[in-house]
Amino acid sequence: MAESLLVGAVAYTPNIVLIWEGLRDYFADGPIETDFVLFSNYGRQVDALLDGTIDVAWNTNVAWARTVFQTDGRCQALAMRDVDAAFQTVFVTRAGNEFDELADLRGRRLALGSRDSAQAAILPVQYLRDAGLADGEVEFVRQESDIGKHGDTGRSELDAIRLLMDDEADAAAIGINTWEAIGREELMPGALAEFWRSPRYSHCNFTALDTLPEDVRRPWVEHLLAMSWDEPEHRRIMELEGLRRRWVLPDMEGYASLFEAIENQGISPRW
Amino acid sequence: MVSVPAMQRNKVILDLVERVGPAEAGQVVEVPLGPGQQGLVERWCERAGHRLLAVEGDVATIRRGPIPDDDAMLDEIPVDRQPGARLWIYTNFDCNLACDYCCAKSSPQAERRALGPDRIRELVAEGAEHGVTEIFLTGGEPFLLWDLDEIVAACAARAPTTILTNGMLFRGRRLDMLRAMPRADVALQISLDSATAELHDLHRGAGSWQRALDGIRTALREGFRVRVAATVAAGEAGADEIAAFHSLLDGFGIDRDDQVIRPVAHRGFADDGVTLTIESLVPEVTVTADGIYWHPVTAGHEDQLVSRSLFPLGDAIAEVRRRFAAYRWETRTAAQRFTCA
Ligand code: SF4
Repeated sequence: MAESLLVGAVAYTPNIVLIWEGLRDYFADGPIETDFVLFSNYGRQVDALLDGTIDVAWNTNVAWARTVFQTDGRCQALAMRDVDAAFQTVFVTRAGNEFDELADLRGRRLALGSRDSAQAAILPVQYLRDAGLADGEVEFVRQESDIGKHGDTGRSELDAIRLLMDDEADAAAIGINTWEAIGREELMPGALAEFWRSPRYSHCNFTALDTLPEDVRRPWVEHLLAMSWDEPEHRRIMELEGLRRRWVLPDMEGYASLFEAIENQGISPRW
Repeated sequence: MVSVPAMQRNKVILDLVERVGPAEAGQVVEVPLGPGQQGLVERWCERAGHRLLAVEGDVATIRRGPIPDDDAMLDEIPVDRQPGARLWIYTNFDCNLACDYCCAKSSPQAERRALGPDRIRELVAEGAEHGVTEIFLTGGEPFLLWDLDEIVAACAARAPTTILTNGMLFRGRRLDMLRAMPRADVALQISLDSATAELHDLHRGAGSWQRALDGIRTALREGFRVRVAATVAAGEAGADEIAAFHSLLDGFGIDRDDQVIRPVAHRGFADDGVTLTIESLVPEVTVTADGIYWHPVTAGHEDQLVSRSLFPLGDAIAEVRRRFAAYRWETRTAAQRFTCA
């Protein structure tokens, strides 16, 4: 049995250090000692997983897809946050714009986040196609302010909202987490309005290659899932990491829409 | 449709998410504000689990969450030392002595400012409902009060009670009062600063050591649990002095746990001593006739006032717990920030 496991995470906020030091301490009392390394972007992190530098990568959905493509599927998702099993993209507009459905965007400007963000770029384009809008029928105004981090910082989504508020776009596509962070319609009554919300899909997961031994995987995942919201020290880490209440086993069906979008849009497995 | 100025005002939310979101948990962040944005900032902080510390001029100062709840912060403290577990009651402020280091500035000339049995009865009843598990009666000298037996009975009926006394007044009617007190839930904490008269009398007055010693003997003879507390200035009590103190009390059969030595606090009449601030003291809710304070050694000091009104006591206990949890959290996050070389 492996003595210890090395997990990679992308450092998109200083709190990553607090989160991972907390998780490292938590695993110190568990069956598999765990340490971490931080990367500046998901591309490097996936490379490190493939070349064996790290055993597990805390990946976005896009990084998961890249890992699947680059390994021909010889990889596995171990666990995710509860919020990752219920992620959504929200289309918002200025209050007063009478949008009821995605087709209303025909001939209008849509602000998108960084092009490597599933929630704010890749999936929104797919949703428009699914709604029968041909390429070019909607003008995209792209904000690329956190490229490499797959939309994790939320910055490009905030920039998209700014464009919307400045009337430089008619709508914006953002992740449900950003929509929550700005208080949905409740904090700015009469300013912004949601007019379409995507079906749920899966977001981040802990990714390993299929060579990770079962007698490491199982106890490690069991120990992770045993973290308790009711334990103040666990909860501090879980809150910082954005969990609602618990770690869960991955919902693999929730990745189907992203794989379809990547294939459909001809997005390369490496970029 | 919102007006253009209203739309601009709403943009502060985006600035908040952008500036506070990436900050380290516990860090204090300043966000520039425009006119009319304060309400929005308050609502956003509340919702996002951050704490708005201040709005001054056109800047909002915000502590990045998540902010742990008070009970979780206080959980690390042993139950019997948690703020609110101990209730201190200043029964009165006058004293037959006038010790030079008295943190309550007591003396025969000090105004009595007694709480009286009725208010004390109400206080301990409320206290018991809000988690008080131990009561301390102090002053001044509680044995100057002719209704102390009534007060002690009311307290002991609610929780184990300790009376802090200089032990010099156990005679005549006051001795009768002592004899009438229940033994089971009452202890006496008698002040004795040294094994010989010299040091004790230096601070407390000539002849006071002998009378305190007599008081200890009387209380023991009457079957009370006696704790002896020495107050010593830095450098005054060497190892020999401390050893002699313990051997004297061992001779009385007083348990080592009941032999307490504590430093002079830099409060009250003391012009030298350990400096105490709200942050440095684990609070022990303290009620006087003038208000509720953070800790017994700082009663009467404006900077340590929790509330002017004595009732409801539960509110003051909750306030002390809330403030102490916030201090602890601040200290912890500050410590996390300054650990590197
Ligand atoms: S220290 Fe105690 S005995 Fe001395 S004056 Fe103050 S209250 Fe009285």
